Amino acid sequence: MMKKPMFSKLTGAIRNTALTAVIGAGALLTGCAATQPGSNQQGAESLPNGMKGDGHEYMLTVTRPNQLHVIDTETDQVLRSCDVPGTFGNGSIAISPDGRTAYVLTGMYENIYGFDITNCEITFSTHQSYDNVQVKSFISMAVSADGKELYTVQNPVRKHSDRFETMQPRLAVFDTSGGLKTQPVRTFPVDRRITKIAAMDNGEVVLGGGDLKAINPENGETRLITALQNWDRAPDKWVPPDAFAMHTMGEHVGEFIMPYFTIRWNGEPGDESKADFLWGHVRIDLKTGDVEMIETVPFEFIVFNWVTDPNDKNVVYGSFNQLSKHNFKTGETLGIHALDHTYYNINMTTDGKKVYVAGAGNTVSIHNPETLERIGYLKMPGDMSTSDLRLAVLK
Amino acid sequence: MALKKNKITRALLGTGVLTLAGLAPAQAQAADGESIIRDRCLVCHTDTGDASAPFSRISEQRKTPEGWMATISRMQQQRGVVISPEEKRELVKYLADNQGLAPAETQGLRYVLEKEPNVLESFDPLLQETCVRCHSGARIALQRRTEDEWKWLVHFHMGQQPTAELHAGARDRAWFDIALNQVAPKLGNDYAFNTEEWSQWQAVEKKSLDGRWAMSGYLPEKGQFDAVVVISQNDNDRYSVTLEGQYADGTPISGSGKAIVYTGYEWRGTLTVNGVKMRQVLAASEDGQTLEGRMYQRNDDVMGGKVIAVKNSAITAITPSYIKQGERKLLTISGNKLNGSISLGAGVKVISIIARDEERTVVIAEASRTAKVGSRDIKVGRTSADDLLAVYDELARVEITPSDSIARVGGAGGSIPKQKSWYRAVGYAAGADGKPGTADDLRLGYMPAQWSLKPFDEIAEHDNDIQYAGTIDNRGIFTPGDAGPNPERKMSTNNVGNLTVIGMVQDGDQTISAESHLLVTVQRFVRALID
Repeated sequence: MMKKPMFSKLTGAIRNTALTAVIGAGALLTGCAATQPGSNQQGAESLPNGMKGDGHEYMLTVTRPNQLHVIDTETDQVLRSCDVPGTFGNGSIAISPDGRTAYVLTGMYENIYGFDITNCEITFSTHQSYDNVQVKSFISMAVSADGKELYTVQNPVRKHSDRFETMQPRLAVFDTSGGLKTQPVRTFPVDRRITKIAAMDNGEVVLGGGDLKAINPENGETRLITALQNWDRAPDKWVPPDAFAMHTMGEHVGEFIMPYFTIRWNGEPGDESKADFLWGHVRIDLKTGDVEMIETVPFEFIVFNWVTDPNDKNVVYGSFNQLSKHNFKTGETLGIHALDHTYYNINMTTDGKKVYVAGAGNTVSIHNPETLERIGYLKMPGDMSTSDLRLAVLK
Repeated sequence: MALKKNKITRALLGTGVLTLAGLAPAQAQAADGESIIRDRCLVCHTDTGDASAPFSRISEQRKTPEGWMATISRMQQQRGVVISPEEKRELVKYLADNQGLAPAETQGLRYVLEKEPNVLESFDPLLQETCVRCHSGARIALQRRTEDEWKWLVHFHMGQQPTAELHAGARDRAWFDIALNQVAPKLGNDYAFNTEEWSQWQAVEKKSLDGRWAMSGYLPEKGQFDAVVVISQNDNDRYSVTLEGQYADGTPISGSGKAIVYTGYEWRGTLTVNGVKMRQVLAASEDGQTLEGRMYQRNDDVMGGKVIAVKNSAITAITPSYIKQGERKLLTISGNKLNGSISLGAGVKVISIIARDEERTVVIAEASRTAKVGSRDIKVGRTSADDLLAVYDELARVEITPSDSIARVGGAGGSIPKQKSWYRAVGYAAGADGKPGTADDLRLGYMPAQWSLKPFDEIAEHDNDIQYAGTIDNRGIFTPGDAGPNPERKMSTNNVGNLTVIGMVQDGDQTISAESHLLVTVQRFVRALID
């Protein structure tokens, strides 16, 4: 009963969003044509070792056909581009706590390569598929707080000679010192449909699926963090949430954030005129394990994710066709800035002075968090598609 | 991966053996379906040893010819099957004949085989949410499998399209469990492998379609046509076809080609008609006297329409299908073996016969001022057709078909051509209650209309979709804009648009218009034999 109205609601809501986009857009494109000559791989080649430690920050992303790029957030130039073996999958990246190793999911979601971002050296690799078992991971990669373990959620399917057999997904634990062609040291069964994962300081791994759970990667013990799909809210008051859990992020403030869409029926279920269409989110502090769950922001914006302002955790930014800024506490929209094309992904520096939007094209656009005005523009050598945009803080 | 390589090697080896044995392609073609399965499919599938289901998986499914073709193509493209075009054709024929669908099992679902555009489907919510969010419902409903086979199909999705359970409409529920444990058993029941319909159809003696037929139909570019179709049997289920006739305006329509009949009734014709390559997807009636379906351009399947062909004496159409009280007008009666006196029903007289042969009679008819409003049965000699002609007082409302439609940008140097859409206006009289839009409205049939476009809503107006999305001509054919990002548009968007199609029908001094929704969107990059 509840599923159906949700779809029509969602469509309606998207239409409203599109309308907002139109009205909010203004004279949007006029300033965008004169983009900075920007970028240049030239720079990357001429600065092979020009990296800095001591907390210097680099934004990482992947472009088609399959390259990992290291962007210096000080100069906003591509410093280094590393060729990733295999066919582009979805461009997922996980970064070691010391900021040195970037693990890239490749080979159509099956293989992982770990790169030393200072020199593109491949220090780790695994091909998750084996024998007649096809193993794919959807986004899900995380590195333990001590950097010693890499986690993925594996979705195995056995390929018999004349049929596929779906197998139970599992958390796979890799030893990051395993080198090349390494295999998991432990696996534990987990739910289906897990995408975003993150490692907490207490050693547990957050599993972002239908519900949010945490698993102990030592023994596979799993606990519920917060129910989403199986939440116990009255179905005549709330539509179960739909979380499009693409892109893991939050590393700049040490958190895991999962946005979702829901509808609150203030009148009869299905009565749109009295309903609130809302963005909700679950935010987990990876240091303390504290969990925040709240629905305040009106569903007037399409975003693929939120990124938290390090200077005020009530303030978040989202991107898609616009860059927008919101207050989670009040639900207030603090700013909207039209973008020149769709940007799936967003991230920030730890000082909160720059917002980066990327994905869905071959440009990275850099914005002032205060005004949302563009302060930089970077042309990448290929399409970022669904790729991650992640912050490496190099120690 | 090793497995795949191994498969390819073995398949290649199979081909090699054939070549070494000195079999020419013609001889390979003669191989029967079962030996092709043994040679080509048992590289991976197994011989079960069970005579009632000898081949693993293959023997537990029934499909349309297009369904089997798609399966074998997938095996070629993704599983490394090596099979010659001749063998493939032979195997599709064998499987469709022996594991096809009975006519009753395709009823109401043929639109997807016929490539009819803009069909609005309605299926059970469970199927709708699990399967139909990606596929047409007809694609599912045109397969018959054992419950286990439906379950293996769910497993297949997790292997072949592993992100399917993360899509909108899947990620908010336990999609795999629902598909496996609720949907597959339901499909095993609703679309079971063993059915009475199929048993009965297998027992029916299939009729040869050889003979002289009369065909009537509608093609969007030139309109209504009548033609004599001569079907000559060359071989078992293989025919050559000629088609000679004229459109309503007298323009000749002429073509020839060939056809294969699968499963005893599934006619698949390929013809060149007035220089254009066309396909026919028709179903033969059980008595072998009627062929009905759709004929469309091979390279532009939207551009086609319904056709019906009859072998016996029958009336297939009257054009136009309406006459107003007190009106005198030209009517064309189409059909086959039409001899004898013409009756157009109470209050409608034939004033004179303008032209006449056995397939087509053009008359001047007159409806009396007092002729009762309603539909009339038509008779020519002893041949009759019910409710074919409508006598009406005045046009009360118009409907545009289709009510919702999609066109797609294309061309502009890209490999995917534009996908057009086309519209017709259907007139209605108010019926006995004098109120249009009620159950007793009298359908008059297709009426000529003037066509125009307007923005569908304020967003479309703001984005000036009307300038970019395309144009509609005086035949009601909409041609979308060029493909690719358009720097003139907001965010360099494509020439997409949200439009309203307006059809304006003139009836005497009266003008009535109606609207239909048209979404102009981007190309379809993945095309399936069955959508």
